[in-house]
Amino acid sequence: MTKPPIDLLQGTVDVLILRTLAWEPMHGYGVARFIRQRTEGVLTIESAALYQALHRLERKKWIRAEWGLSENNRRAKYYSLTADGRKQLREEAATWRSYAEAVFKVLEPV
Amino acid sequence: MARPRRYLRFPWRSSSRLRADLEEELRFYFDMRTRELVEQGMSDADARREAVREFGDVEYTKRYCLAEDAMSRREERRTDYVAELRQDMMHSWRTFRRSPGFAVIALLTLALGIGANTAIFSVVNGLLLRDLPFGEPDRVVRVWGAHKDSGVDRSQISAGDFIDLRTRQRSFTALGAFAWGGGTYIGTGDPVRLSGARVDANVFRALGVRPYLGRTFVAGEDSSGVNPTIVLGFGAWRRVFGGDSSIVGKTVNISGRANTVIGVLPPTFFFPTMAEAEIFTPLDLTPLLRDVNRSRKFHNLGAIGLLRPGVTVAQAGAELKGIAAQLERDFPQSNSNMTVATMGMRDAVVGDTRPALLVLLGASLLVLLIACANVAGMLLSRAVSRRQELAVRAALGAGRARLVRQMMTESLILAMAGGAIGLAVALWGTHALVASAGDRLPAASQVTADATVLLTALAVSIASGVVFGLVPALAASRGIQLALKESGRGTSSGVSRHRMRTALVTGQLALAVMLLVGAGLLVRSLVGLQKRDLGYSIESTLTFELILAGDRYDSGAAQDQFFDALYARLEALPGVVAVGGSGNIPLRGGASASLAIDGRPQPEGRLPEVGYQPVSDNLFKAMGVPLKRGRTFGPQDRQDSPPVVILSESAARAYWPNGDPIGARVRLGPNPNDPWMTVVGIVGDVRIGVDGESRPTAYVSGRQDHWGGMAIVMRTTSEPTSLLPAVRREVRALDRTIPVSDAYSMKQVRTQGLTDRRLPMQLMAAFALLALVLAAVGVYGVMAYSVAARTREIGVRVALGAQPRNVFGMVVRQGMGAAAAGLTLGLLGAAALGRVLTSLLYGVKPTDVFTFVGVAGVLLAVVLAACLVPARRAVRVDPLEALRSE
Repeated sequence: MTKPPIDLLQGTVDVLILRTLAWEPMHGYGVARFIRQRTEGVLTIESAALYQALHRLERKKWIRAEWGLSENNRRAKYYSLTADGRKQLREEAATWRSYAEAVFKVLEPV
Repeated sequence: MARPRRYLRFPWRSSSRLRADLEEELRFYFDMRTRELVEQGMSDADARREAVREFGDVEYTKRYCLAEDAMSRREERRTDYVAELRQDMMHSWRTFRRSPGFAVIALLTLALGIGANTAIFSVVNGLLLRDLPFGEPDRVVRVWGAHKDSGVDRSQISAGDFIDLRTRQRSFTALGAFAWGGGTYIGTGDPVRLSGARVDANVFRALGVRPYLGRTFVAGEDSSGVNPTIVLGFGAWRRVFGGDSSIVGKTVNISGRANTVIGVLPPTFFFPTMAEAEIFTPLDLTPLLRDVNRSRKFHNLGAIGLLRPGVTVAQAGAELKGIAAQLERDFPQSNSNMTVATMGMRDAVVGDTRPALLVLLGASLLVLLIACANVAGMLLSRAVSRRQELAVRAALGAGRARLVRQMMTESLILAMAGGAIGLAVALWGTHALVASAGDRLPAASQVTADATVLLTALAVSIASGVVFGLVPALAASRGIQLALKESGRGTSSGVSRHRMRTALVTGQLALAVMLLVGAGLLVRSLVGLQKRDLGYSIESTLTFELILAGDRYDSGAAQDQFFDALYARLEALPGVVAVGGSGNIPLRGGASASLAIDGRPQPEGRLPEVGYQPVSDNLFKAMGVPLKRGRTFGPQDRQDSPPVVILSESAARAYWPNGDPIGARVRLGPNPNDPWMTVVGIVGDVRIGVDGESRPTAYVSGRQDHWGGMAIVMRTTSEPTSLLPAVRREVRALDRTIPVSDAYSMKQVRTQGLTDRRLPMQLMAAFALLALVLAAVGVYGVMAYSVAARTREIGVRVALGAQPRNVFGMVVRQGMGAAAAGLTLGLLGAAALGRVLTSLLYGVKPTDVFTFVGVAGVLLAVVLAACLVPARRAVRVDPLEALRSE
């Protein structure tokens, strides 16, 4: 299995998770499902990477975890965005947007 | 619900808890994903397998997540701790703000306790702990002469003996000799008297001195015929020579001789066991060695050695003693019963101050303990009024450990703040201490607040915070359960707390008693010393030293002419009763000489030694020493008239127990060719120094033995020092190159001599007073608390017919009970520990009954006074109100 550059991968996963949790607190499975549906299957993130990212972001205090009840009445760990996380999301989204714009500027004239 | 999370959040989770949480989280994912896949049409088993497959590396993910979780937990714990500490500190601050009286008293108490300790410690650190400013301080050794028969173990060595010791010994890489020196610097302004030493090249080698400018002596420089050289101490260089940086190579006039300056010593340097020495000239032993009568009989040398690596002081001492024993056998006439004594230089320098310093350090520790007990007592009382607050906090989920921590934070804040103020007290105190000890403290310049002192103050503060904080904190946290149940009536925990406070106060009183006894003994010693009869009068007496300098005073006749003229001029001054001169004044010690008596057989070994002083005609009159028999010296005793001698009473008694010494002939000093001298008079005994005893002494006329200088004594009718300007004018009129030095009233000289006794006494008295006040505050606190806690009981008693007198008595009895217990313990402790004071006492026993009784009286009176206010408050309790208030 070849691995893409780890920083890019981590950064991408992180910002997607932060954006997802900006909607509402979710458990890990919910985040995975949301991203899959939202990107219509174009971006598939390995769930392993997703969970690693969740715990990493929790450590960074961008998200926090609480146990709650799932839609089918099971105990599940819900993640929600912290104030720090929200700030981080804004910054990363801006970076991504300018990155994408720059790439498009190169591609457009074709 | 502003911040509910604080209380609802996960507590810190254990590692197994973290693992279980992660397993549950992942299980939830796999279950959900499997169900999703089943809904898409997979079989149960296939769906589960697919969920795991598409997940990725499960094991790695688990490890990764656990590591992240563990890290978060650590961080959480840290930030929680910091947050709680902040919370505790804010809480403490608010608590102190609410009761500023308590905070101020506690802070002052601690500041005094910690300050006293730190000040004393910085002196101990500077003198006893820090290295002496020498190259290899631990290898430097002081060597003295010693007399086996009289027990004198710090005397001088003769030149002949020193040379033999130096050439035969193998223990030292360098062994050097020194003798008194110094002289008068004659420059453009007033002449200046400079103390100094004559040293050989080995002395500076042994001390390992790196000069500040130039160099020190080299071998060969100390032999005669070489151009005279001089090394200046830093102080003299700065003060007298203006810190001239180009002074090396210049010549300076010392006592009429031109000396070439070859070096300046560094500022930290002091000459050990002769700290006042400021100028150093080469020591030339050849004249003494050439003189057969004096080479082994004239003892004027001190010695300093640098131990060979690996040799101990004891080994070196044993070797030198062996050589001395050999010399004793070879030269019985001069060396019988003579040996040497050695000591590491640190012990030699601080030897006399050590016991006093250690006693004071112990005393300041006792004060600190009392201060801690006081604050602990205050905290215990406060814990009562804070029971509700603590209970509320406990109810909100604070555990016992958390409450103890909070109270400890309070204590430590108190201790650190008290320590900070204490440090200021200490800096000021150290300064005052060094200033008042002045030249009595060896190497006083080394006493500064350095890192060691600051760290010690910090450590002492923290330690006291723990000591006085822990007991109340534990007691308070134990009382919480009870507090939750009831509203704070006389509970069992209240009783045990009261018992604890009483125990604290008893301990305080005991410690205070010990300090009071110590102070009392020292005061009694000093008073005894000040009252004792010295054998002469120190009232209205002025003394100063004159050292004649220059070739024109080489002849005895010239010296006689100068002094006769001087005495005449001074006696003519208004307000002067009599003027005399003496080699030394008895307060500053004296010389000695061997005594041979005409017509008696030569003893086997050495001749006996007696005190020896050349004196002027009127000295005994000026000093107020009574003439017992015969006559004093007069104008008929001249350089060329038959030599005469006056004996002290004890000398007459010792050597003529049944007969009359007047008319007998004696010879003083080692030279058998000196003429016999006739005894013409007997005078009263005088005591040597401030605390010494009298010794048999022989006085000769200053016209028959010329020392080139005299200590002048003037008896006056007015304040002695007011005559000084006139004295200086008369001396200058006779010879402007001769300085008047060491000019003081005789009382001032005695005061200086008592400094090293007075200082410990004053400090001890200050500590004792502090201890007494603190203990009184402690007694007051516990009694006031007790009365407040027993208001209801007192109300009942009054309601049942108790008279005010009974109530008053009840309170006072309780206080006196603690006082009696503390007093008993304290007096027992003082009796047991009194021995450590022995070396500081004079004329009183460590178990002096007078002192013990006096201390008991003072303590009981103070405790009684401390009980009065609470007792009166108890008397005024209104039974109705007391009963209703519950």
